[in-house]
Amino acid sequence: MTHAELAVDTEHEEAANDRTMFGFWVYLMTDLLMFAVLFAVYAVLKNSTVDGPSGRDIFNPTLALAGTLVLLVSSFTVGIGMIKARLGIKKQALIWFGLTFILGLAFLGITMYEFYEIIHKGYNLGTSAFLSAFFILVGTHGLHIISGLIWLGVIMVYVMKRGLNKHMIRKLTLLSLFWHFLDIVWIFIFSVVYLMAFV
Amino acid sequence: MSIESHKTTTAKSEHGTTTSYVIGLMLSLNFTIVPYLLVVNEIITGNALLVTILGFAILQMFIQIFFFLHLGRGPKPLYNIVFFFGTAGLIIVVVGASIFIINNLYRNMMPDEVTRKLAQKEAISQVGGKETGACNANKVNHIVTVSEEGVSPSYTSANLCDTITFINQDKVTRELVFGTYTQNVSYGGEDKVVLDDGRPETITLNQDGNFVFYDKTNQSIIGNFVVKP
Repeated sequence: MTHAELAVDTEHEEAANDRTMFGFWVYLMTDLLMFAVLFAVYAVLKNSTVDGPSGRDIFNPTLALAGTLVLLVSSFTVGIGMIKARLGIKKQALIWFGLTFILGLAFLGITMYEFYEIIHKGYNLGTSAFLSAFFILVGTHGLHIISGLIWLGVIMVYVMKRGLNKHMIRKLTLLSLFWHFLDIVWIFIFSVVYLMAFV
Repeated sequence: MSIESHKTTTAKSEHGTTTSYVIGLMLSLNFTIVPYLLVVNEIITGNALLVTILGFAILQMFIQIFFFLHLGRGPKPLYNIVFFFGTAGLIIVVVGASIFIINNLYRNMMPDEVTRKLAQKEAISQVGGKETGACNANKVNHIVTVSEEGVSPSYTSANLCDTITFINQDKVTRELVFGTYTQNVSYGGEDKVVLDDGRPETITLNQDGNFVFYDKTNQSIIGNFVVKP
């Protein structure tokens, strides 16, 4: 390839990247709207506890803080992993993404443990409108985390087998966007659901 | 090769550096722990706390958007920003309007069950001609006469669900305020009883405890009542 051909090729590549990024961004914003609706439902039904417990009775703020910190750090590690991946340092990138995967699992574990604790006390999705809204909002976020983890696991296997080519970088970029996005949504869950229950 | 290196230099400004991630992480951790401590240690309460929590969340969102998502960095993703703010607008409408509409609906069209519970709690014995089950015990009406000479009797002992009728003996409007002159309290959700000239006013005793009241215009007119559960 001549120099000019290579430049045209890169230009095409960048345009394709831009399109992919924008498409994914549109998905993220739509997903954000879905979360907004769930947030609205939660805000509206927050006090509809009937005879069941209120948030103050069942939430464990320390556990929620632990989950938040874990997720924040995982958002950081996925970012560092992206930097290493762009530099083409496969081994380091895999280590950072592996760390992200473990932190994601830890976060999921914390959420599951919290659900277990609440259900163990004898409350569930059907206890009150408040708990329905709570389980659906936090559960939907948890499902996103699970899909993110599966996605991350699959890409890591690809990277291990095929190395860090530009297609992988594109996929990883989308994944890191997704992960940061889940982090932002969680910040609002932490603030609106957990912290505001204690006001 | 020259193109590769060119790509990495532009990539840096657009995708962030280790430093930007570290700064972002540190700020995010702070903005998570500060509201947590405010809530757990109950440093501020009520609406101020609500606003603070929401403020920190929004601040945190912008930090993450800037340091982690790198929105607005680099020349290209302007349409991403436009789309983001469009979505943010939609979210404000969806969430804000939902809360506003449903709260209104709830206030004005409370389900029967909720109305009944609320009525019981506030000792309202009838709603819409139906008994709520509140205060069906023997109700005694206590008469308290208020005049310029003072309150008679100045001390009333009553049971929960009894009623007190305040009789105003003068041709003036009196405002009986619960609590003392320096510290007002509310009784059953009301902070005062207004007696129009010469007109009596009856309140239902739906809250137990020891209460003092005084006339707003003549603070020497003081009475008190004890409500036993």
